Amino acid sequence: MADSGDREPLRRLPVHWSLSAHARRLLVLAVAAVILAVLTRRAEFAGLAAPALLLLSTWQSGPHPDVAVRIHLGTASLVEGVTAALDVEIHGHEPFDASLLIEPADAVLAGDAVHVPGGHPTRSAVLRVVPTRWGRYSLGVLVITFTDRYRLTEGTAIAYLPFVSPYPQAAPMESSVVLSRLPSRLGEHPARAAGEGVEFAGVREFVPGDRQRRINWPATTRLGSLHLSTFSAERTQNVVVIADETTDIGEPGTSSLDLVLRGASGAITRYLAARDRVGLIIFAGRLSWIAPGQGRRHWYRLLDLMISAPGGWDRASSLTRLPRAALPPGSLILVFSPLLDPRLVEALRDLRERGFSVIVIDVLNARPGHDGSRLSRLTARMWHLEQEAVRFSLTQIGVPVVHWDGVSSLDTPLAPYTRRVLVAHR
Amino acid sequence: MTAAPARTSPAGRTRRGYGIAAASALATGVILWSAFPISAGRAGTRPALAAAIVAGVMSIAQLAAAAIGNRESSGFAVRDQAAQWLTGLVKILPWAELLIVAVLVLEALHASRPWHTAVLAVALTGYVLAVHLTETRAGASVLRAQLPLLCAGIALTALSVGAAALPQFMAGTADAAIRIVVLVAAVVAVGLAVPAWLARPGRERAR
Repeated sequence: MADSGDREPLRRLPVHWSLSAHARRLLVLAVAAVILAVLTRRAEFAGLAAPALLLLSTWQSGPHPDVAVRIHLGTASLVEGVTAALDVEIHGHEPFDASLLIEPADAVLAGDAVHVPGGHPTRSAVLRVVPTRWGRYSLGVLVITFTDRYRLTEGTAIAYLPFVSPYPQAAPMESSVVLSRLPSRLGEHPARAAGEGVEFAGVREFVPGDRQRRINWPATTRLGSLHLSTFSAERTQNVVVIADETTDIGEPGTSSLDLVLRGASGAITRYLAARDRVGLIIFAGRLSWIAPGQGRRHWYRLLDLMISAPGGWDRASSLTRLPRAALPPGSLILVFSPLLDPRLVEALRDLRERGFSVIVIDVLNARPGHDGSRLSRLTARMWHLEQEAVRFSLTQIGVPVVHWDGVSSLDTPLAPYTRRVLVAHR
Repeated sequence: MTAAPARTSPAGRTRRGYGIAAASALATGVILWSAFPISAGRAGTRPALAAAIVAGVMSIAQLAAAAIGNRESSGFAVRDQAAQWLTGLVKILPWAELLIVAVLVLEALHASRPWHTAVLAVALTGYVLAVHLTETRAGASVLRAQLPLLCAGIALTALSVGAAALPQFMAGTADAAIRIVVLVAAVVAVGLAVPAWLARPGRERAR
């Protein structure tokens, strides 16, 4: 999320004035030609210097006061890979043309320089930036170059751009996994129990007290007694997303941590859009969690926690048992992890023993490199077998493990579980 | 992922490409114009020509490097270090200024040829303007304010060519005609330059 307020204050920037490169070239041309004219006593060299000298004659040095700049980020929240607009207002130096160029930070892409013509006391321009990584960092610096009409004087002012905290880009997810048993809370998923929903469930005989508007007249006519339509109750479900931030392997930008955060962000966005209650547990050096909730504000809370939680491996912590407060009974638990931390595997076994329905989305797409030697190959094969064993053991205790490559949508690996309700076993 | 904003828009890239092409053509032109015939040049023509060619190539490389932007290599390999050193060399030295000096020296090493020097003056001024437009990514319209001064400068160049050529003519009607042409050129030059000089930003502010 951007740290800028609604209206940024004006910032005064010192302007460093100097001869422009164009003026220096003209000066070299004029001086060299005049020197040669004197040395060789050839009048044509003096004539050669004439255009440059005339252009230089318009140079004017004078008092140049500071400039005031207001920089405002157009969007309330940034998301990695999504273009954001940066509004820049320049006050002062109206006779000078201004050129605005962003020198972006490492994880930021910026557009071409924007030229703002002079002639107005207040000038504004919109610059485009794209944060390419989630996290917290500065967007870079804005270099404002003022040039006079004749392009001889150049003033440079540098403004530091704000720090931003772009959210990870949400992985696309259209469908959702729904449990067979849902808590008794009004929502949007049709439950097995009859209720006041809109999804047709069946026909039953009328009993006194039933609402007459529910009478199914075709069935009543056919069967000879009053029958009425029944509908499914609509319930919400509790979803807890576990993001494993203990390890980060792979190419930057598509590393396991990137995929964990993008997948978790996609699942959170999808379930909150379906009016489900979504919680988040960050499994990292220490546990951080937010209990399930609903709404747009909750979405911001979850994503803020996701990018602010300290990652990494903390050997001193014992994390094999996840807190009860973060796990309402009967919750669906989606785990995004490369499954490289044995403590998380233990925690998943514990969750399964506690009766939770757990699905693991495996984001491990990197393998340890080996030099081709026999020992190295053997080590790599053992590592691979060990990983397969971990996944097999989870499957055996009823925790399905699906692999996500980070490129396709989350619907592809979760398809076997989104087409039918997931039966919650005890 | 949403497409990133292009570091340079297609129109900007095209304009920059045209600018680099124009600067290359003008640099080649001024080098050839000032150097040939090489045999007619005095001692030092060949080193000056070599210096002009190197400076010309590097000045165009400088413009191209600025168009590509900063691609910092984080590697510590010899190849990466060499590439960084070479990029720094291209960017830091004032190659356009060196080209201007080398070309003027080349011209001075040849015998006096006033009209030839006048053409070189126009081409060199054009080269300086082309380099400026390319490196600032500006259109030719930004030179509108400088146009009267440029015209006046070229008129003064013509004046100097006339002055240099005068001793070659015999006294008589041709001499009188040239003097009249020179007088008219001087009046035109002053007439064009004075309004532009009066309209300087500093004078406007002072008023």
